[in-house]
Amino acid sequence: MGLLVNIIIFAAIFGFAGYQIFRAVKRSKQGKCAACDYDCEAKKLLNQSKKRSL
Amino acid sequence: MTTVALLGNPNTGKTTLFNELTDKYAYVGNWTGVTVEKKVGQIRHSHTQVIDLPGVYSLNPITKDESVVTNYLLQNSPDLILNVTNASQLKRNLLLSVEVLELGVPVIITLNMIDDLKRSGHFYDLKTLSDKLGCPVRTSNARNKEGLTQLKADLVCDQSEIQPDSPLKLAYPMMVKQAIRQAAESLTNDYKIDNKFAHWLAIQYINNNKVVRKYALKHQLKPLLSQKAYYDAQKFADQIFETRLSFIEATLSAATEQLQSTKHVALTSKIDKVVTHPIFGLPIFVGIFYLMFKLSFDWVGTPISTQLDKLLSGPISHWANQFLTQVGALPMLRSLIVNGLIAGVGGVLVFIPQIFVLFACISILEDSGYMARAALVTDRIMEMIGLNGKAFIPLIIGFGCNVTGIMAARTIEQPKERLITTLISPFMSCSARLPIYSLFVAALFPRHQALIVLSLYFLGIVVALLMAKFYHVMFKAKEHSVFIVELPQYHIPRLDIVWHGTWDKGKGFIKKAGTIIFAGTVLIWLLSNFGTRGYVTQIDQSFAANLGKVLLPVFKPIGISTWQPISALLTGVLAKEVISSSMMVLFHTSNQGALIAMIGGSFTALSAYALLVFILLYIPCFATIGTIKSETGSAKWAAYSVVSSLFISYSLAFLIFQIGSLLT
Repeated sequence: MGLLVNIIIFAAIFGFAGYQIFRAVKRSKQGKCAACDYDCEAKKLLNQSKKRSL
Repeated sequence: MTTVALLGNPNTGKTTLFNELTDKYAYVGNWTGVTVEKKVGQIRHSHTQVIDLPGVYSLNPITKDESVVTNYLLQNSPDLILNVTNASQLKRNLLLSVEVLELGVPVIITLNMIDDLKRSGHFYDLKTLSDKLGCPVRTSNARNKEGLTQLKADLVCDQSEIQPDSPLKLAYPMMVKQAIRQAAESLTNDYKIDNKFAHWLAIQYINNNKVVRKYALKHQLKPLLSQKAYYDAQKFADQIFETRLSFIEATLSAATEQLQSTKHVALTSKIDKVVTHPIFGLPIFVGIFYLMFKLSFDWVGTPISTQLDKLLSGPISHWANQFLTQVGALPMLRSLIVNGLIAGVGGVLVFIPQIFVLFACISILEDSGYMARAALVTDRIMEMIGLNGKAFIPLIIGFGCNVTGIMAARTIEQPKERLITTLISPFMSCSARLPIYSLFVAALFPRHQALIVLSLYFLGIVVALLMAKFYHVMFKAKEHSVFIVELPQYHIPRLDIVWHGTWDKGKGFIKKAGTIIFAGTVLIWLLSNFGTRGYVTQIDQSFAANLGKVLLPVFKPIGISTWQPISALLTGVLAKEVISSSMMVLFHTSNQGALIAMIGGSFTALSAYALLVFILLYIPCFATIGTIKSETGSAKWAAYSVVSSLFISYSLAFLIFQIGSLLT
């Protein structure tokens, strides 16, 4: 496996991890439904209606 | 599009009915206050939209979430209202129905949980009920889908087919009637408000409905506002209540039919005599929890988890390592994937059996009807502290996830009590803390796993309650909210509801493994493989080690003598599960057995327990901090929560370790 592939995999893992931390901080700032890990029915509908309004 | 609003008292099975009607699944629990905000769904293959509103006892709201219903009726006009009632509690349920019927929107009343009523030896003549109330009356049993086809057919009709109903007119005392008529007429003439709605508005206003009074003030409805003092002085609200009650009593006595068997009620009250006993109630509650932990740690969860770990640390790690070597991955990448991700994320995932067994137990307790009793039993203790049993519900929900627990605190009406419940919620031991407990109890308390975990859970509750008492004194909270909890009849838990409940709670954990636990593991791998001199092969020279060593003197007094747990604790703020995966990475082990041996070597039973107590109570995770901020509306409370929990956890762990060291 070439060096380039190694680097790409590294970048993908770190990129994803970094994005997840960034998202966790952003979500916790929003609080409420966004911070909660349960994907309950109310939340799904809320997300749907958000998408629709966009 | 036809809109149907689902409305009724709490715990009458609205959400179950909603799920059955809309082919969708929403969280169902056998206790009050499950629906906090309204949910919308659609009946399959139809143009009918169903709105599930939170359960209320009357349109005059006591709590924040109860005003959702009244506000909904003030601002929207559904084409049809499906009033879901608990057939066994019809007298109280109809008080709400009468208020709804007075609105004049077409209503269908369904007597839900009809099997419970039949078992109690009663039945109602539906025709008599329908004639007296002036609307169709159906029976249903959402749990076993009885009567649902009929209901669905009733709801899936075109807007034009719905017959307009005339509002229910009760024989209020003459003075009240006159007041209603005058107000309604002026509202119709001067404000062009629809006659039916004006009539209803007048009744609700006279009946001292807070939301309607606010509405009148906002819209400057002079005919109502000018008479407010008169209505209140004449105690019209009391007269309205009495008229409604006597109407309901008369209706029910005309419609009641007797059946024979009452076995089931007798059984429920027999069980209740034992489980809600003033003295034995609490030990039974503790015993049930102990049994739950026994199941998840000793009997079912841990054995499965050990097998999973063998698979992960043996063949899977080995295979991955071989594969990566073959394809020519750099040693650094191999270390990241095998020692970091597989060991770390996998190390958390192997705890799925324990977590799912525990959630299944909680779901069974919820669905059987025991949780409502647990709230009642704890109400006595909560009363001493100044909270009430209602606060217990968010706390128990907090066992799943503190964020959901804090959200559920919305059902508490007094702002101070709500704030107190929000602040003490993080002390409840959420499921994210289970993996790290599992690891330590397996290492140091192999014979008493369930007992140690039980003690941690209850320590969490005790600290929460003591803090609640403290806040109560500090905030000088005097007002009390009322705690009304219905004790539903016991039923055998339904497999699909239990499974749904378990899956709903548990899938968050699996999802987290792929997101934040993954990220936390990568972060700790990075910290443990890089130091001031770049990539290091000796973990002792890494950033993680430097950081841990700097903080070591602070943690020495609570019994921590190595730097690894300290660095792991820091990552725990991302999510508590990350503590376990960090431990895996930092101790450089790929299997749970080796880590357990390592932990056993660097901790004593006492220092391990002190650390577990610290983990139980220290800084809440990001998500919880964010939720505290958004629910209290201030960053100050969130910051306070962080500082206070750090202080409490440190002091308690310090006391346990120091006093324990003196004793041993």
